Amino acid sequence: MKLNEIQDRTLATRKLLHTTVFAQCFSPCGRYIAAANNYGNIAIFSLSAVLSPEATDDSFKPIYTFVASEEGAIFCLASTDILLISAGAGNIHAWKWADILNKAPKQVWAWAVPKKNQFTIPEVNSIVVDQQEESSSRLFAGCGDNDVHVWDMEAGQQLVSLSGHEDYIHCVATKNKGRECVSASEDGTIRIWDSRTEGEAVHIIEPYKQEICARPEFGKWLGCVAMDPSEDWLVCGGGPQLSLWHLRSINPTTTFDTPGATQKHVMFYEDAMISAGSKPLVHHWYINGDLKSEVPCTPTSVFNVSINTNSDTHKVLCVAGNSAKIDVCTNFGYRASSLIFTQD
Amino acid sequence: MERNLASTNSVMATKDDKKRKRTIRSESSTDMGIAGIEIKKIKSGETIRKDSRTSLFYTEEEEVDTRDPKNDLELFRTACNEVENAARKIHDLKKKKMHATSEIESSRVQASLQFVILKKLNRLAHIRCKKVREKTNEAKQDIEHQHLQLQNMLYETMHLEKEITKCLEFKSKDEEIELVPESDFYRDAPEAISRPEKTKSDEHQRTLARLDWELEQRMQLFLKLKDAQGKRENIEKDIKTKEEYLNNLHPKLDSILSATKPVQDYLEMPFERIREQHQVAGHLPHPLYVLFMQASAYKQACDKYLNVTIEGDIDTAKSFDMSTPDLDEDSDSEQEEQEKASSKRRRKTTDIRKLERKDKVLRKHPLSVLLEVKTKDGNKLCLTFYYLVALHIITVSIKLETGQDAVTSSVSGEDLLSPDSILCDLYAGDHGNTTPNPANHYELNRLGLREFGQYIVQVGLPYLWAQWLGGLDFLADRNLQRPQSAVSAGHMQKTIKELRKRVSSRLSLLRQLSSLERNAVSVISQYQSLFPTKIVSQLTSWKRSTYNDFCSLSHTKTVMDADLVSENDMYFVMVASRGTARLTSQVVIAHDYPAVAPLFVVSVKWRTERTAVNDYHIRKMEEEVNVHYNELIIPQSRDQILSNQIQRLLMCFDIYLETEVENINNGVSEIAKEKVFPRCSRGPNRNKPFRYCSEVGIFTHR
Repeated sequence: MKLNEIQDRTLATRKLLHTTVFAQCFSPCGRYIAAANNYGNIAIFSLSAVLSPEATDDSFKPIYTFVASEEGAIFCLASTDILLISAGAGNIHAWKWADILNKAPKQVWAWAVPKKNQFTIPEVNSIVVDQQEESSSRLFAGCGDNDVHVWDMEAGQQLVSLSGHEDYIHCVATKNKGRECVSASEDGTIRIWDSRTEGEAVHIIEPYKQEICARPEFGKWLGCVAMDPSEDWLVCGGGPQLSLWHLRSINPTTTFDTPGATQKHVMFYEDAMISAGSKPLVHHWYINGDLKSEVPCTPTSVFNVSINTNSDTHKVLCVAGNSAKIDVCTNFGYRASSLIFTQD
Repeated sequence: MERNLASTNSVMATKDDKKRKRTIRSESSTDMGIAGIEIKKIKSGETIRKDSRTSLFYTEEEEVDTRDPKNDLELFRTACNEVENAARKIHDLKKKKMHATSEIESSRVQASLQFVILKKLNRLAHIRCKKVREKTNEAKQDIEHQHLQLQNMLYETMHLEKEITKCLEFKSKDEEIELVPESDFYRDAPEAISRPEKTKSDEHQRTLARLDWELEQRMQLFLKLKDAQGKRENIEKDIKTKEEYLNNLHPKLDSILSATKPVQDYLEMPFERIREQHQVAGHLPHPLYVLFMQASAYKQACDKYLNVTIEGDIDTAKSFDMSTPDLDEDSDSEQEEQEKASSKRRRKTTDIRKLERKDKVLRKHPLSVLLEVKTKDGNKLCLTFYYLVALHIITVSIKLETGQDAVTSSVSGEDLLSPDSILCDLYAGDHGNTTPNPANHYELNRLGLREFGQYIVQVGLPYLWAQWLGGLDFLADRNLQRPQSAVSAGHMQKTIKELRKRVSSRLSLLRQLSSLERNAVSVISQYQSLFPTKIVSQLTSWKRSTYNDFCSLSHTKTVMDADLVSENDMYFVMVASRGTARLTSQVVIAHDYPAVAPLFVVSVKWRTERTAVNDYHIRKMEEEVNVHYNELIIPQSRDQILSNQIQRLLMCFDIYLETEVENINNGVSEIAKEKVFPRCSRGPNRNKPFRYCSEVGIFTHR
């Protein structure tokens, strides 16, 4: 019917307008990028097409999209050499990259987060795959039930649950070859765990209690955490100011001033740091707290910034957030083009 | 010269000097006393005639013929020499002063004698001259005569030549007659006429024979023509009599029909009425005719609540000139000239002329078709279809007669039922504000008229579906003159359905608007379960807005960029508040409501100004109503979507405020936590629990 077509088209446009891309992940070969949105879809884009000089409008649209989660949004993606792992509302799913690139994605496995109460299924907000140990690689998932759950990737068996946070976990990171785990939570604390055994956290960091980074008007929640390669330093941000902590002394040494903006993503890259949050900007910082550069981007609120290290020829920085557009920066200093997460 | 001649004469004379001297001497001795003339004759030395003077005279003339002029010349010279010599001799003698008088005397005599000879020679010369002149004259006369003769001859030849060309140029009549080719002639003509043995060789005879054959054939054809004409006359006569017979039959049939009328009435079979309508329909312009027939057919087949009638004066229609009037400027000026001649309305301003031209272009056919679409709840939509003769389009004027229980009073939605808005976008994009016939644009332009949109008030709305019902499909078929019944039939059912749907949805929307103006969100019982019983936020204002106001807002840009709104949509502003917090939302309702759900663009003022641009949660609130509206619809009562969306927005506003308070500080606040939600925020975006679970009465995350 003609009328339904119009309705569908209008709805599609509105959906596109309200698309939020929470996560993105590069394929092991580095030529493709997978992005996941709030409707539970994963889109695959070809970086080679985007970066080629003959790029047309269609190059910026997904090669194809598939439904990865029936329950709703996908909040995080992680990649191993052969698998793409997606998680969010509902279960954790794994897909083979080979299948995905053949345009025939098949779910390899699905793990459910243990349920605590009957009303809500806990969401997974952050996953990290630790591949440091040859014997068994493990998956860390920061979940909505305030716990970090750890799985053995080979066996598909849940090993431990790290509980102690008073609110849900926003972000996890690993340390010391996966023997330790760092989590940032809505309750305003960073907890460092011994990931091999269940038990209390080894350290608790509370930035909202530190005068130099507390911002009560934004709340105490922490949205992101990252470790520097030497693992001496930790950076975290959210409601409180983005701040750099010296791990041995557990003291904040530097803050990174983002007036009016809360940070949702932070990462170390080479000798600098990249962070982004509730403003349409990507910040590049020097470790000493000075702002290296501020790159404007399309999403007004950024959830993920990724750099493709898997391929030298396709080395790009991608910025995803509350927009159907994913910004692609070839030179990290400015936006080169934008991918569009269309539904068809 | 004369002296020379004289000297030559003297030389001539001296030649024969001695001989003459002798003769003269001898004669002088005898006839000394004879007159000088006779002496001359003696001198010539020939026959001397002493009979008479006249004969002597003539003798001298004859003598001329016998004498040689050259000899005479010689004689003349010698004579001259003699004289000269004598003169010299005398002179010499005188000089010497020798007294030889005798000698002088003799020389003098001798000299004098020479003069006699000279005289004679002179005479002869004269005579000779005269003779030569006479001879020349004679020759001249002869030449003249010959010349005259020659001219006569030339003239005669010329005349003859003229006559010859005249003869050659003579044209015979037969040359103009087209003859059958020679080969055909020998094939078709009988021997008697063609006579090949003679004509083959003689061209003249052949032509004569061919002419004969031509004559023969023409005679035959003439006879045939006469025959055919006679036949035609007969047939014409036949036709006339038959026509008369048929004409006589018509009144008889009429009387039979009128006689059967009471029977029809008695049997309640309105054949006659329908027949009359159909007869009138015959005078409808073709597109309206298609519309009328298809609508009647549809009515008979499947829709009792439809009524189709023809309106207008049939007599005007009969005399109506269907031909497109000549709209050229030229004709106007011609008219003007005529008017100037009549001098009455000489000063006709351009405005009046323009008006006249406009009237001509926008001329309606006097007949129109009235289509009454009734709905079950007593509302009636009256559509009058007109046909614009010059522009070849159908326009429709709309009137809605509402039933008794329909709510029609609303300030913000006063134009919802107005003729130019109620059927806007019945099919997507069909605003009815431009002419569907692309050719019209140029036509209007050419005549210096404004865009068609300016005249809609005057002529009615040219909706696309109106053209379709009349079988005109401008996009598919460029041939305007031939409306397709199939086009009309293909759209009839759907259009009637859409018309009914539109009327009921408009009335429903109007009811909701009038309720919103009273700040009450009326959620009908079917939907009560979608919302919690207590919603603290209150609607405080509902007003009409405009497209320009909408555009001027900074946070509407994303919506505009996504092309989700258009100028034709209806714009409203709602304001809700809870405590000091105020929620303002732009509400865009498409004419196609409820097929296209209203669009909300929200801004919240609570301590700071928050919109979707700077607050992710406002964006999520918008998403709840703009995207997830399907949860608010039960197919049977789709019309209620506006109220449901507003109710949900108010609910979300409650949650928004309550969770914001939770998040920031747990101190005393004007916003009390009223709702039950197990988690305040969830996910990387710290989403708020905007979803209401009616079974347990708590709020969860989407």
